Amino acid sequence: MAGIFLRKSADDDLHAFYPIRPECAADVPKARFRARAGKTLSPRKWQAAFSEDGHLDIAKVLRRIQKGGIHPSIKGLVWEFLLGCFDPDSTFDERTQLRQCRRQQYGRWKVECQNMVPIIGSGKIITAAIVSDDGQMLQDSSANNDSQDQDWHVNSAISDKKVLQWMLCLPQIGLDVVRTDRALVFYESEINQAKLWDVLAIYSWVDNDIGYVQGMNDIASPMIILLENEADAFWCFEHAMRRLRENFRCTTSSIGVQTQLSTLSQIIKTIDPKLHQHLEDLDGGEYLFAFRMLMVLFRREFSFVDALYLWELKQYGKFVRKNVKSGQSDKQSALSVFLVASVLETKNKKLLKEAKGLDDVVKILGDITGNLDAKKACNEALKIQKKYLSQELMGVAQCYHSADQFCTQIFGCAEQNCNS
Amino acid sequence: MSVRRRTLLKVIVLGESGVGKTSLMNQYVHKKFSQQYKATIGADFVTKELQIDDRLVTLQIWDTAGQERFQSLGVAFYRGADCCVLVYDVNVMKSFDTLDNWHEEFLKQASPADPRIFPFILLGNKIDIDGGNSRVVSEKKAKDWCASKGNIPYFETSAKEDINVDAAFLSIAKAALANEHEQDIYFQGIPEAVSESEQRGGCAC
Repeated sequence: MAGIFLRKSADDDLHAFYPIRPECAADVPKARFRARAGKTLSPRKWQAAFSEDGHLDIAKVLRRIQKGGIHPSIKGLVWEFLLGCFDPDSTFDERTQLRQCRRQQYGRWKVECQNMVPIIGSGKIITAAIVSDDGQMLQDSSANNDSQDQDWHVNSAISDKKVLQWMLCLPQIGLDVVRTDRALVFYESEINQAKLWDVLAIYSWVDNDIGYVQGMNDIASPMIILLENEADAFWCFEHAMRRLRENFRCTTSSIGVQTQLSTLSQIIKTIDPKLHQHLEDLDGGEYLFAFRMLMVLFRREFSFVDALYLWELKQYGKFVRKNVKSGQSDKQSALSVFLVASVLETKNKKLLKEAKGLDDVVKILGDITGNLDAKKACNEALKIQKKYLSQELMGVAQCYHSADQFCTQIFGCAEQNCNS
Repeated sequence: MSVRRRTLLKVIVLGESGVGKTSLMNQYVHKKFSQQYKATIGADFVTKELQIDDRLVTLQIWDTAGQERFQSLGVAFYRGADCCVLVYDVNVMKSFDTLDNWHEEFLKQASPADPRIFPFILLGNKIDIDGGNSRVVSEKKAKDWCASKGNIPYFETSAKEDINVDAAFLSIAKAALANEHEQDIYFQGIPEAVSESEQRGGCAC
């Protein structure tokens, strides 16, 4: 009886934090994550993990997260540490100072952007082009600009390439913002949509090398929901992007994420040569069929709350991995790649037996939506990683003449672990 | 084991971001429209079976991401296409202006045997918006463009109001069928009874 009661209240709890529009309930993957007493990192446990001056026992926190995720009421605070915005070894005072400093920096960037496009920060968004490809400012052609464009500071042609590139991507951000997590009640609010738009617009100005690429909206959306302060949300997104931005680097012939897809193909080739060969035979070389999973980190395959849980578990995985030093940086591929590998492995039989073409592969992988367990997938990913690394190390070992040389290569120094 | 020959037609839907590619496909296949679609990442497809005259065909409709930056992925997804559907939004000039680019890129990347006869179809979507008052691309302008590309069939549609969607896709299927790329699909009554080698053997005949 008590168990049933607890479970029900946990459900209500989640619903209260990330409510879904009733008319959309059938269209989104069902949430599997449950906050569980004694397992989930609770506000109380979180508080208790800090020393008097604010040092955080991150190992303890991560172990807790691994057991049962983070309670929604403190997700934002914990994420700031998980994403690396703050050093767990810093003090309360240091962090307060850093936060102030970052908020001011964000404020300055925002003003800079507002000076070029006043709609930024106004609570509205742009979905239609404001400038032509050759830099001519366009007259207001969309209903949601109202009369704002009369105040535009820039009314002559845009000659600065950086400014033009940025202005050209703003409508794309808008088009995507209105299609981001719209099943959540949170984004019924235009203010919240505008917050997401502002953060993405300002990010693409600051990181103009990458700019804006579809999918970044899926990465940024949780930060907007979890962090109330827009500047704090921006910095969380910015830190997440430090690890992800290369995936979004586009050239005329490729997209950055293809590097990870190529790693994925190497991993499957090593741990499951039969499946790899089958996928190659089906013309699935370089694994483009797994594009979406990596690009938006399983946001589409999991429910909102489960995707968050998965991201949290991944941080634990990273922590565990710190103990596995390979000494070769290219072996430290993102855990996400191993997650995708684990998904492919769960579908191994079906893929081998039923996939007669790439369309079947896409279909079989599409069926995972809403049917994956985040924790299982993460545990599998870690196992695959271990298997892959050990097989790779064996391969490396054969290339070296002596055990000493091998250890030097693997561990970076000869004396470490050589005796074992 | 029952083995039937069917025709699989692969259709690629292209066009600027937000013109309604996903909506059109979903209206056609699932008979529904949602305001909550997400931007397509990578590529995905839906299938629909239909009968054209006395032939049963399976239409496999591939949805793609609209941001120009994803065009480099085309090579992988366009391969083996039987028809290409170009979509623009009648209310957004830029989505019409970029049609040339989509048309050209498709031919370049899919490299069909004979580019001059490869079937395209143009859909002008969102004709319902504001009762047509916000439209910026006239029917004539669109038809002129179609004529300049070798008389591409043109349909004006509304995925939201389900206007002309069935008619457009029927025409797409017919165009694809004419450019047929036959492929066998095997339907197994009892999958367990069929060994892999038997299936492979079946493929060869």
